[in-house]
Amino acid sequence: MSPEDGRVPVFEIQDLHVWFDTGSTRRHVSEVHIVKGISLSVAPGERLGLVGESGCGKTTTILASLGLLPPSASVSGRILLEGKDILAEGEKTVGPHRWNDIAMVFQGAMNAFNPVKTVGWQIAEALRVHHTVEPRQRRARVAELLELVGISGENADRFPHEFSGGMKQRAVIAMALACNPKVLLADEPTTALDVVVQNQILALLTKLSEELDLALILVTHDLAVVAQTCERAAVMLEGRIVEQGPMTELYRHPQHSYTRQLFESTPDVFAAPVAAHEIAPVATPLLEVADLVVSYGGRRSWLAARRNRPSNDTLAVDGISLRVQPSEMLALVGQSGCGKTSTVQAILGMVPTSGGSIKVAGTEVTGLRRAQWRPLRRRVQMIYQDPYESLDIRFRVRQTLEEPLRIHGIGKSAKERTRIISEALERVDMTPPERYLGRYPHELSGGQRQRVAIAASLVLDPTLLLADEPVSMLDVSVRSGVLDLLDNLRRDLGMGILMITHDLSTAANYADRIAVMNQGHIVEQGPAWDVVNAPTHDYTKTLLAAVPSPDPEVRRVG
Amino acid sequence: MSNTSIDAGELVPEVEVSHGLWVTLRAVLRQPSAIVGLVIVGLFVISAVFAPLLEPYSTTNASCGVFDAPSAAHWFGCDDGGIDVLSLVIIGGRVSMLVGLFATVIAMVLGAGVGLLSGYFGGATDTILMRITDYFLVIPQIVLMIVIAAVWGPSLSHVVIVIGILMWTGTARVIRAQVKSLRERVYIKRVESLGASHTRIIVRHILPQVGPLLVANAVLAITVAIFTETALAFLGLSDPTAITWGTIMEHAFDRAAISAGAWWAVVPAGMAVALFTVGCYLIGRSIEDSLNPRLKVSYLSPRSWAMRPLVGRGPDAL
Amino acid sequence: MRKSGYLWKRSVFALVTIYVAITLNFVLFRVLPGSAISRISKVPNASPALKHALEVQFGLDKSTWQQYVLYLQQLLHGNMGISYQNMQPVTDNLKSALLATLPMVTIGTVLALVIGIAVGVLSAVRRGTVTDHATTNVAVLFYAFPTQFLGMMMLIFAASFLPSAGMTDPFAIYASWTDEAGDVIRHMILPVLTLVLTLFAENTLIVRSAMLETLGEDYVLTARAKGVPRRKIVRSYALRNAMLPTITLVALSLGGIVTGAILIEVIFSWPGIGRALYQAVLARDYPMLQGGFLIITVVVVVFNFIADLLYFRFDPRITT
Repeated sequence: MSPEDGRVPVFEIQDLHVWFDTGSTRRHVSEVHIVKGISLSVAPGERLGLVGESGCGKTTTILASLGLLPPSASVSGRILLEGKDILAEGEKTVGPHRWNDIAMVFQGAMNAFNPVKTVGWQIAEALRVHHTVEPRQRRARVAELLELVGISGENADRFPHEFSGGMKQRAVIAMALACNPKVLLADEPTTALDVVVQNQILALLTKLSEELDLALILVTHDLAVVAQTCERAAVMLEGRIVEQGPMTELYRHPQHSYTRQLFESTPDVFAAPVAAHEIAPVATPLLEVADLVVSYGGRRSWLAARRNRPSNDTLAVDGISLRVQPSEMLALVGQSGCGKTSTVQAILGMVPTSGGSIKVAGTEVTGLRRAQWRPLRRRVQMIYQDPYESLDIRFRVRQTLEEPLRIHGIGKSAKERTRIISEALERVDMTPPERYLGRYPHELSGGQRQRVAIAASLVLDPTLLLADEPVSMLDVSVRSGVLDLLDNLRRDLGMGILMITHDLSTAANYADRIAVMNQGHIVEQGPAWDVVNAPTHDYTKTLLAAVPSPDPEVRRVG
Repeated sequence: MSNTSIDAGELVPEVEVSHGLWVTLRAVLRQPSAIVGLVIVGLFVISAVFAPLLEPYSTTNASCGVFDAPSAAHWFGCDDGGIDVLSLVIIGGRVSMLVGLFATVIAMVLGAGVGLLSGYFGGATDTILMRITDYFLVIPQIVLMIVIAAVWGPSLSHVVIVIGILMWTGTARVIRAQVKSLRERVYIKRVESLGASHTRIIVRHILPQVGPLLVANAVLAITVAIFTETALAFLGLSDPTAITWGTIMEHAFDRAAISAGAWWAVVPAGMAVALFTVGCYLIGRSIEDSLNPRLKVSYLSPRSWAMRPLVGRGPDAL
Repeated sequence: MRKSGYLWKRSVFALVTIYVAITLNFVLFRVLPGSAISRISKVPNASPALKHALEVQFGLDKSTWQQYVLYLQQLLHGNMGISYQNMQPVTDNLKSALLATLPMVTIGTVLALVIGIAVGVLSAVRRGTVTDHATTNVAVLFYAFPTQFLGMMMLIFAASFLPSAGMTDPFAIYASWTDEAGDVIRHMILPVLTLVLTLFAENTLIVRSAMLETLGEDYVLTARAKGVPRRKIVRSYALRNAMLPTITLVALSLGGIVTGAILIEVIFSWPGIGRALYQAVLARDYPMLQGGFLIITVVVVVFNFIADLLYFRFDPRITT
């Protein structure tokens, strides 16, 4: 379990168990065993990845290492810092090591800063609390720390809300480094960030760990991130570490079936198949978007609407053209804020357009009124990103699937509706349908929920599916299942699919064509393989350079 | 006390999507404070319904001496006219609770209506409705009520209407905030993109979600209404012939019960208002708490996690 | 630039609110059928000359619109009419009443805020403990007591050893101004205490729930990991952020303070604006009623504006 080359570990977790009390009464104790005997170690300058899906206990492990668990938790095991057990006497022994020796970068850096204090104040606070430097040198030290993570020192007097997401994450790292810790625990430090920014943050963490001889534990659900950053990784499943070893070993010869499953579900942009299949153009494509313009927020003030010309800086979508053929999957790839969501919203008629045309199966839909849109809605259906959010949790599966039928008056009898619903459930591999009809969303897994959402679209027998990041909120191991399902729908039923994604790897592996979007424009569009392997536009090249590969040999970070 | 319920507007934390009334009800009933509240309010409601059977003496004819002290025959003593105070409080509760209920119904209809329209449609509708609400919130309502009641003349129905039409603002802001956040929910967008009408979305998806919140609000609003009625009554603006908890206290104060040392002419009615308010508050609060999961986390708990002895094979085995 | 936009917006809002109140005042008293001023001739004990003067002054012979303009003009000159009760200008009556009310209500409100914040913070930080349950229950109980009930309890139980009526002892002869001040302060104890008991409970509950919100924020966890001492986390993180909703909610409860103040002034015969309003109601003294409504609204709007300024001062994120 110790580092490969016999370096002495600076930080060790030994046989850590964590239980949570879930409302014990006097008569009986009810608790859940979240972490079941974890052991890890890292040496100075070493980077260890802790990989697992949501609920596997990885965050709990990290919080336990710093003694930050809630009072409902019970802990057993040892946390050794340079050989000394810091958990031995609870708060008393762990307290002095916080930030001085072990610092932490939390999940969701967006909320890690107190919104009413300046960033500099909050970094300086660590110095004040721990008397790290002389009071007079604090300002200089804060500036130095910010420079270290690539932020100009003058920004110290700004408030968190004045920082961009990437800057905030950098500042959080600067704060973590304030007291020269020996160990840095980073919990999903890049999850909410765009891939280009993610790449920069990972490069920064790698650089810092090397320069400062910092032991880094990187907790993430994303194998590719670990592959690009860490030398070793531990794969965690249901509170246990199922496999641990050098990253290259894990990638080349995964021992545990779960590790293999994780790798299989992590698409590699550079291993995408060459030209999925040829699609012959047809006279009327399912979707034809020409020179579409959408201004921000959708609704314009009546004044702007009267003048009938949106000013240039308020355009979310600025003249894009797309085309989706039957049984074709087109991936619209871009970073958050690039306008891809506005595009789909406009196609669905949920936001007004400011120019251009959208034709659904040959019918112009811009400017249609709500009632005129209704019959068309059967043909165009949308799959949303977050299956935990997209279903009304008060509705059983049957009601969820019945609602679109009722809205469009399909199925005369209850029997006929049941038949349609059952067919749709079978289509999304939820068999036998009877097992699921009576369930509420919270009785389904994330992947099943997404399948129900897809089935709710299929009951209307649509010809065009719009999928907005259909797997980004799902656990890695179920992603490929949902993507394969979409793939089958277009192959078997001839549906056209427009998939929005931030993830070039997914796009490259599933789509026929890729359109890369940036700042409201489509900068490049073409067959998937060509876009990925022979990009012509600089922006596409930047994106590609930032995409992490699960193959540790294909190092791009740094 | 206040004439705005304590949770106004945007300050309301975003409430977790509820599984509907039943699930919320079960979550509410798990809290002991909710049970206490329900028992208190239940007893009051029963006493109000069966008031004519329960009152030990007449509330119109004297049954004992002026300001007689509490005794075995007259538990709460008598008022200045020799009328049994317990009977007065029982009968008065009936009217007070009805005033509270009717005023609340008016306030809830207005508040929920404005909140729904404003939150659901947004845009200009929202701006105009919220601007109006803001003015109602800022203008001191009690004074406006005094003026209106003084101009219209004292009568119980005027009091109900005045309280009702001045009390809806808090509810409107709470409901608006909630509807606005629901409007952004993905499942509402999904249903909309299926082609559902506004009516269908509001009735099938939004109303059931704001229902529990509306109930919580109504329960708290009843107490505010009863409170306000007692205040108006105290200032002589309620119907002086009606028996309510407010007029009982006003009457006692007016007839120098204080200088006569007859605390029993005041205390039972005051305690009745207080108890009923506590009951409603506990219920309303329990509903709100069960809707707000964020309140369940505290990163600064006074207690610490526990340490257990090593359970595994220990470090040597690894 | 954008920051000043917020202040500008709030100022406009305050001014417009006052204007709306002024207009409402006019509509309520003059335009609505059977409204007060149309019954001007029924002024009790008025001489024919005064009656005529009033009619001209209120312009009852003119159209509603002209009356409105006249009303605004008079108001601009500080003329709110003559009180029916003592035949003094309403403005003068209100001025002295306001001077009696403001110190009592201000002291009571500030004390209630300080106690409310202290108890609310304590109960949130010690959440789930005996301290929390005890303070919350006491707060709920006091929240539930009607103000006039608390006031009457004070009268019954404390009137024997503390003055319970008026602002000064009417028969006292003061040797110096300190004696007089002392007397006023002694008279103030019961009304202020009642107001504090009425208000602190609500403040406690507001602060507690705002604190519970902020204690669950990620930045509190980060601060703990940073090793910031508990006391400091409570102050600079939890309370500092909880102040924002607290300011807004306390501003919204200004109406409640007004209610409390009116009832308390009536009970303790405090010669303030609330009592003046009460007496105006009893005497159907419409000019006083009108003036009282206006002045209280203006005061509340001003304090609301102060709350806006505070919010602005406390929240660096305000942009619009």
